[in-house]
Amino acid sequence: MIGDALALARKDLLLEVRRREVVLAMLQYVITTLVVIHFAIAGAGSSQKAAAGMLWAAILFTAVLSLNRCFAADQEEGALDALLLAPIDRAAIWLGKVLAQMTFLLIMEAIALPAFWLFFFGEKGPRPLPVIAAVLLANIGLATIGVLVAGLAQATRARDVLLPVLFLPLSIPLVIAAVTATLESFPGGSGAQKALQFLAVFNIVFTSLAWGTYEHLAGE
Amino acid sequence: MPAALRFPGGGWVASSGALIPLAIALAAWWVPDDADQGYSQRIFYFHVPIALTTYAAFAYGAFCAAAYLKTRDPRWDLRSYVGVHVGAIFGTLVLITGSIWAKVSWGVWWDWSDRQLNVFLVLFLYYCAYFMLRFSVDEGEQRMSYSAVYTLLGVGLIPLSILAVRIAQSLVHPTVFTTSGAAMTNDMFMTFLVAFAGMLCLAAGMIAMELRGKRAALRVRELRRRLEGTDL
Repeated sequence: MIGDALALARKDLLLEVRRREVVLAMLQYVITTLVVIHFAIAGAGSSQKAAAGMLWAAILFTAVLSLNRCFAADQEEGALDALLLAPIDRAAIWLGKVLAQMTFLLIMEAIALPAFWLFFFGEKGPRPLPVIAAVLLANIGLATIGVLVAGLAQATRARDVLLPVLFLPLSIPLVIAAVTATLESFPGGSGAQKALQFLAVFNIVFTSLAWGTYEHLAGE
Repeated sequence: MPAALRFPGGGWVASSGALIPLAIALAAWWVPDDADQGYSQRIFYFHVPIALTTYAAFAYGAFCAAAYLKTRDPRWDLRSYVGVHVGAIFGTLVLITGSIWAKVSWGVWWDWSDRQLNVFLVLFLYYCAYFMLRFSVDEGEQRMSYSAVYTLLGVGLIPLSILAVRIAQSLVHPTVFTTSGAAMTNDMFMTFLVAFAGMLCLAAGMIAMELRGKRAALRVRELRRRLEGTDL
């Protein structure tokens, strides 16, 4: 099961290395989004609250971008049908996709976070460690619910339109906690511990829900 | 029972037809004014029961979704859909009555710092997206399982939104809003219960009627298909 999932994740990563379809677009998109939001709120990004919100809005929308391509290659080449016929646990398909998506998100954030710090915080930023912890925990949650919802959306007629519509409401609690964690990591904040714990709980709840329900998805 | 009400759910509709006017009368003339908010607080007797009924309808939808995934019986899928549908209708009413109440007592149509408002909004948005999902999948087993999985995910979303909003607020706003719910007098609580029972009956009646209509439509379509011989 874990081996199957790793093999599937490796397949997706290899495809990405060869095609360079998603990650470069994500990088471009996340930086552009930061800049756009900054101008949209008329420079209020220099305030801590606005900056923390911008960071998470940008991460969320960039996640939608890569999730939209999550099942695209498999579908275009008919690999999804083959996967469903293969003698593997369907949860392994889901887990493989989650691992691949988490890697994409990590690469994007490895570039976006430093850029974000440079643009908006300079030396007056929050303590980096809790923010990084929040990013890592949020990645798990975003990939978990994202792949599940992408699995729902990929079989519909309105695929790319539907994904954000389904994904964003589910991710609201995650965003609330992640923004709280970021804000509370500023000097003078009361610490991100509670919000980080919440992110962990969120991940546990939705990982088990996704694990339990995924076998009902991905075609019959 | 009069003949007009002799259909499935007719009893529910009749009970709600008695209870809701009674609740309106009680709320308008019987209960005393709220010490704090005066006459306007009386919308509480409708707003809160409608909100609780919304949650009940969504819970019914989720329960039927779980039953569908277990049994694979299409009847559960239809029940689940109708539950979510009636929940969405009541949810719209909650947002409307809530905004009116907020405007009168807080002076704004919407208050982002109120916990219950935010949780409700998240849940409402989530279940509104349900219809988009359901109607962009072709009819059949796939639509039923997808709808069921999505409905069930909402069950995880409710406690988590409550928790998330609480965490964000206890840190950002140290003062927590206290509801006046616990401090109700007996006559207020009675009126509230009558209104709540009325709303639940109304929802149950609507669910029963919509189910009946949907089943009839399915049956008609099936018969027509057979008549035209396209179902070979």
